[in-house]
Amino acid sequence: MTLVMVVDDDQDLAEMLGIVLTSAGIDVDLVSRGDEVLEVFRANPPDLVLLDVMLPGLNGIEVCKLIRAESMVPIVMLSAKGDTIDVVEGLEAGADDYMIKPFKHPSELVARIRTRLRRSSAGLSGRLTLADLAIDLVAHQVTRGGKLIALTRLEFDLLVALAKEPRRVFTRDALLSEVWGYRHSTDTRLVNVHVQRLRAKIEHDPENPEIVVTVRGVGYKAGVTGGV
Amino acid sequence: MTRSSRVARFRNSLAFKVIFSTVLLCLAVVWLTGSALYAQLSDGIRKVKVESSVAESRSAIFNAQYRIILGSDSSAKAIKQIVDDIIVNSPSVIGTAINGREVALLRTRSTPIGAINYQETSNQMLVSSIPNELRLRVQKSISTEWSETLIRYSDGTKVSALAVGEKITIPKAGDYEMYLLFSLDRQDATLVLLSRSLFFTGIVLILLIALITFLVVRQIVRPVREAARIAEGFTAGDLSQRMQIKGKDEIARLGNAFNEMALSLQNQINRLENLSHVQQGFVSDVSHELRTPLTTLRMASEVIYATREQFDPNIARSAELLVAQIDRFEKLLEDLLEISRFDAEVAVLEIVEFDVVALVEQCISDLSLLAKERATSIELIHFGEPGLIQADIRRVERILRNLLTNAIEYSDSKPLKVRIVSSENEIAVGVRDYGIGLDEASAYRVFDRFWRADPSRARVRGGTGLGLSIALEDARLHHGELEAWGRQGKGAHFVLTLPRRSGGEVISRPIRLKPEDFSSTS
Repeated sequence: MTLVMVVDDDQDLAEMLGIVLTSAGIDVDLVSRGDEVLEVFRANPPDLVLLDVMLPGLNGIEVCKLIRAESMVPIVMLSAKGDTIDVVEGLEAGADDYMIKPFKHPSELVARIRTRLRRSSAGLSGRLTLADLAIDLVAHQVTRGGKLIALTRLEFDLLVALAKEPRRVFTRDALLSEVWGYRHSTDTRLVNVHVQRLRAKIEHDPENPEIVVTVRGVGYKAGVTGGV
Repeated sequence: MTRSSRVARFRNSLAFKVIFSTVLLCLAVVWLTGSALYAQLSDGIRKVKVESSVAESRSAIFNAQYRIILGSDSSAKAIKQIVDDIIVNSPSVIGTAINGREVALLRTRSTPIGAINYQETSNQMLVSSIPNELRLRVQKSISTEWSETLIRYSDGTKVSALAVGEKITIPKAGDYEMYLLFSLDRQDATLVLLSRSLFFTGIVLILLIALITFLVVRQIVRPVREAARIAEGFTAGDLSQRMQIKGKDEIARLGNAFNEMALSLQNQINRLENLSHVQQGFVSDVSHELRTPLTTLRMASEVIYATREQFDPNIARSAELLVAQIDRFEKLLEDLLEISRFDAEVAVLEIVEFDVVALVEQCISDLSLLAKERATSIELIHFGEPGLIQADIRRVERILRNLLTNAIEYSDSKPLKVRIVSSENEIAVGVRDYGIGLDEASAYRVFDRFWRADPSRARVRGGTGLGLSIALEDARLHHGELEAWGRQGKGAHFVLTLPRRSGGEVISRPIRLKPEDFSSTS
């Protein structure tokens, strides 16, 4: 059974989230303080973390960085503010997605969690090569010259989406729908931030990317220079 | 900088004004004192000359009379010789030839012309040099008389002079008059020199005064200019600058007072800024604090709502109302936060270029369901080409949705007309309905927060009462205009006019507020 760790200092909201997720068939671990997260996380590693930004002890952004430092688990931030800075900070700290309170529908939350748990690359098998990267779709591993590059699930999915169709230029909306599972485009910053994070891990020189190339005014595509 | 603007700047300067008026006043004073001085000096010089001339004349005439009396026994010829001597030699006798003294012996009219006429003048001087008026006085007087005159020579030259005369008696001939004429050339030359030096002294004095005034004024003007510069800095937002204070004079007091004012202003501004920060922080906190319970509420209500079929109808309906009211509550919260952002002046525009026609079409199609529910339809009238505009698309869409939703709600099931007209500078969208309308007074108040046309009339279901206020603020943020027109029972007309370029202003109105299909008689 799937386990989701819900980190929120509001007891009532946490309990409510618990009810909604449990009734959707998801196990829930409730944590109310930022500085308790890591302990619980290590004791009982969840499949996904639902993380509030404002937390006592240690704020959500810091918690996100700590989790990222030791795990590639999907993290969805919860924010009460639609504040741009909060959202971008959260994404840069390593969150895969975010939701702004109040959510339109609980079902939206469940759907979002399921999307994050499901792999967009699931069902594919074999190997893909992109420049000097070897992508193993079964083991979910990316290697360069036999050396493993640690990618989060989302980053892996993003890379696979681009690598599957090397000649296609993906608009940000297309990536949002294929990788994040959004039906309507919402926030293209999600794509921008994650492309930056992915580049930082796989590019030789992130300032002059050769693997994930920006197509000005359109979006991104996989760079095929350096062999297929 | 052009010449004229430099002149204008100079004219506008305090220093120029002070120097100009000082120089003008000094000029008057110097002129008055100079001419008084000149008059006094020239009078004095004349007086001295007259006195010395009269004294000299007396002695010369006495001398002449004496010599004539001494020779009175001689023949008329011998006397003539003596007279000739006196006239011709008199300069050497008196020794004032350099003074340009002339002598004349004139026969008094009453004396008969004898065998020998003793009348004679020196150096071919004409008799007309002696004024008749003086001769009359001399003839009547027993002592010397004098007058100013011009010495005329036979060659036509004239010299200003002083004429002094006295009666003289020549034995066997009768009464004659003897005149001595003293040239005033030297005195005139002295006076010219005097007036010249007075003039140049005056000019130098005025220049010096102008320079001194300039230096003094600069001392005063410099701190005033500095104060002006700092005040301008304040206006531009630089609150840190202060005046430098030296000494304890009035200027220093001005500087002190200015600095105190600056400090108090800075404090006030800081206080207001702090208040604004507190306000913004409060809004943000309210936002967070309300959103969390609202999230819980929403999820709880959704859980109940999802299972409402299991309950009896009253509870099921309650669940529906609960969900609807939470929606409304959330909308109200959003609107309040938006309003508070406008009040705190932290609302910012995210400018993009887009097509207003396409946006209106999108809004109309999104609202088609609501229009269908209210049994109305929307007719869009525009001139074909896209209406490109640089604006915040989210805000413009919000204004349009608001106007359209209101029009549909109050349409009274009559079709709506939406017009888009663009000019070079602006784009206008007019939303016209033919429903219950507004009275004229209400048309001004529809943008007021939480305002209701008729307190007893129900608000549009789900409306917050803030929609039009926000729409107006959004329009103003774009330097645009949003206006309402209405007549009871004749519908309403809302016109949004936006400048096409970001930062532009609305100059003309492509759509008149009063609808074209309305005449006051109908």
